[in-house]
Amino acid sequence: MDKLVIGAASQVTEADLKSARLGSRFGRLDLQSQLALLAVESLGINFDLLPRERIAICLAASAGSLSTDVEYWKGRDAVGGPSPTLFAYTLPSAAIGEIAIRHRLTGPNLCFIGGSNEVLLEAADLIQRGEADSCVCVYCNVVTAGAAKIIQAPPTTNACALFLKRGGDGLRELREFDRDMKSLCALISQTKSAG
Amino acid sequence: MQISTHELKSNIIESLKLQDITPEQIDDDAPLFGTGLGLDSIDALELVVMLEKDYGIVIKDIEEGRPAFRSVNTLAEFIAAKRPQ
Repeated sequence: MDKLVIGAASQVTEADLKSARLGSRFGRLDLQSQLALLAVESLGINFDLLPRERIAICLAASAGSLSTDVEYWKGRDAVGGPSPTLFAYTLPSAAIGEIAIRHRLTGPNLCFIGGSNEVLLEAADLIQRGEADSCVCVYCNVVTAGAAKIIQAPPTTNACALFLKRGGDGLRELREFDRDMKSLCALISQTKSAG
Repeated sequence: MQISTHELKSNIIESLKLQDITPEQIDDDAPLFGTGLGLDSIDALELVVMLEKDYGIVIKDIEEGRPAFRSVNTLAEFIAAKRPQ
């Protein structure tokens, strides 16, 4: 088994989007894709230095695309109908596409609906199987007020990202019991700010 | 009835959620798609929705709107010709 290393980690919230400058087309992305893209951008990885076809993307969305689905559905009674742009984001995996396009990553990708526990396990497995040398892992926890009513969960809008790679330098080695990506990103961010 | 290209450009920016772009930065004769503003096919559908919402113009066949979507000026002319009085 190869040693897997966490190269970088980040956490973002909806409040961080106000100061985000990710190009003129960033505004048309749905909230989940914006948060995912900003979390990946905040990793500070220079993808130019890596073979892009060997970089995987694993994304988990806590509530799938429900928040965007609700937003899209709200437009059904509007003059002209719902937004065609928003329709493109009524898929939980849409954020993966945005990340891949922005950074021109062409490796394998996986999308999960639910908690943040599967992402690291699957990303590690992808690398250990030799399908990729590294993986951009993203966890999106996007439950807007409209979606919160449906699933009876508290509203929340944040995302975290982590860059996992085979060997080399990094923040720390991935340990056997590292499972919850959200907690891991929070822990690394706390350690970084304390240091 | 003529419409202001400045107002039209503001509506395009709002409808397409273009960030950090002002109406002054959009050339009235520059192509909206491909080069120029660099819009794509989903933006075209969003513009169709904008025409109905903001100007009361319904485009049933996208081919009908294709020449109108060449630039801000052609779109303004199209709206002026088709807008319900």
